[in-house]
Amino acid sequence: MPENLDLEQAVRSLSGRPLPGDVGVVQPRDFVHQQPFTFKSGQVIPGFTLRYETYGTLNATRDNAVLICHALSGDHHCAGWHSTEDRKPGWWNNLIGPGKAVDTDRFHVICANVLGGCQGSTGPSSLNPATGTPYGTSFPFVTIHDMVRAQKLLLDHLGVLQLHAVIGGSMGGMQAQLFAIEYPQFVRRVIAMATTARESAQAIAFNEVGRQAIMQDPAWNRGNYSKDGGPRVGLAIARMMAHITYVSDASMDRKFGRRKKDSAHADAYTFEPQFEVEGYLRYQGQSFINRFDANSYLYITRALDQFDLAQAHGSLEAAYAAVEAETLIVGFTSDWLFPPDQNRALALALLRAGKRASYAELDTDLGHDSFLLESEELYTLVRGFLDRGQSYVFDYSI
Amino acid sequence: MTNVRTSSKAGGDTRLVEKRTVDMQIIGDWVEPNTRVLDLGCGAGALLDYLVQTKQVSATGVDLEFGNITACVRRGLSAYQGDMMEFMRAFPDKHFDRVICSRTVHELDDPTAVILEALRVGRSLTVGFVNHGFWKNRLNMLFLGRKIRNEVYLTEWFESRPANPVTIADFEHFCVAKGIAITRWAHLAGNWRDPCRTAPNLFAGYALYDLAR
Repeated sequence: MPENLDLEQAVRSLSGRPLPGDVGVVQPRDFVHQQPFTFKSGQVIPGFTLRYETYGTLNATRDNAVLICHALSGDHHCAGWHSTEDRKPGWWNNLIGPGKAVDTDRFHVICANVLGGCQGSTGPSSLNPATGTPYGTSFPFVTIHDMVRAQKLLLDHLGVLQLHAVIGGSMGGMQAQLFAIEYPQFVRRVIAMATTARESAQAIAFNEVGRQAIMQDPAWNRGNYSKDGGPRVGLAIARMMAHITYVSDASMDRKFGRRKKDSAHADAYTFEPQFEVEGYLRYQGQSFINRFDANSYLYITRALDQFDLAQAHGSLEAAYAAVEAETLIVGFTSDWLFPPDQNRALALALLRAGKRASYAELDTDLGHDSFLLESEELYTLVRGFLDRGQSYVFDYSI
Repeated sequence: MTNVRTSSKAGGDTRLVEKRTVDMQIIGDWVEPNTRVLDLGCGAGALLDYLVQTKQVSATGVDLEFGNITACVRRGLSAYQGDMMEFMRAFPDKHFDRVICSRTVHELDDPTAVILEALRVGRSLTVGFVNHGFWKNRLNMLFLGRKIRNEVYLTEWFESRPANPVTIADFEHFCVAKGIAITRWAHLAGNWRDPCRTAPNLFAGYALYDLAR
């Protein structure tokens, strides 16, 4: 993918115009909710901001909206470019755009940075209006439920009457499920990929190691740090480790194998990075600390851990009892963070609850991040699901 | 793992498509309107689609192929990609009004287990299969001594998956041996259209059974 991006970027810089199938240059906007917001924990903030982007046009009946929900380290910028100089487009640019699987010629696509995040939405790094200093760890504990409720307020503000679909991978898939549970009449379709109804002990364990890396860094200072300071070492380590859980043994082996860095030929007996994979992880860690807030990382991983639909409703079937949407669950064979079994369980519980649900599984070796894969098969599946109930041709062929 | 594949790739053969629709119409006659139907080895969902259109059933299909799930999803069906036994084990007794196993029994690793499990999760089970005891098949083996190839058996031996062909006599014996009640049946002649009333194990090309337990 990176090679293609460089080419794309070069073409864009030369022409200054969006490529076909590209939403082009987009502007994030802010939704400011000026009333108190009570979190599931009972804690209250006087108001909040959600940063969001939209692509495509809301139709007259205001029901062609597609909400995209991002994962742990994602943001509202899921398609297009912020400027012609950008090196990378939005994180799901391959899926979303004119004529693409999520077709912005037909759908009004909306994506917001979650509550508790750090890309423009209110979170622990935002200023507490009461004190004039960042909330830090005085920020209320955030749940997936709070993220969903805040986004519903945004959708109401935008005048969306009904969602054509809500789509998300990983944590985004949790939000998508919860949208259909909390607002059954508002959601017509759900696509949840590489997700779960509750994390396994292993996933919680990885999150805890990440949190410990941050909190054991003296610069964390119990969450009180200046905007350009903070536990940079801890956050980078958290990201390095988490990144390993997003890929797979096979994909890392293909990408790096045991290849050595060019500079590593001199002396094997040092702890300087010698293998390409080491350099790559360090790069991942370093680029992450420049865009992500350590406290947000703590809050959002905690929200992930606490998400448990079965526990919240007594059983998964009970959780889905109110759902009216049709659901498509997509699992990926090599995803060992939210493995296929956990994705299958969602579809099976929905079907047991008498709902319309499908499960498809893509054979990939890219691990958890497979949902971001450039795959015609995935595009065809998503397009077919979003199209259904539209123009219908009865086809007898086998 | 119970490996079930469907003949979706054979869609280009018009004679087979014609035969398929006959099969669909009989099953359609048996299905009660507005019931919950599960199709094991649903392929691209043609049968379920037909049942939704004609009987307004609540339809779910199971298949192993991603492409078939995509086709079902496009048709508006619920479809599950995975092993049919694992799927059925996830459901309580009699969750489905009817389970359909159309032209898949001969490809099952453990037909007994699948049929008994289908009779647990379903109030009734419809099984449709090509009668391997059809006279032409017998003559083919007697005179040519080679694997049958026609519009039903499309591939050479060396292009074929392992299969476990079944005859009407085999199947009825199985039902007796397992204490399964046959509540309804249809035997079709070699053209898969006209009913076959005499010596079905010899003269029927296709058989459909409705089972209960």
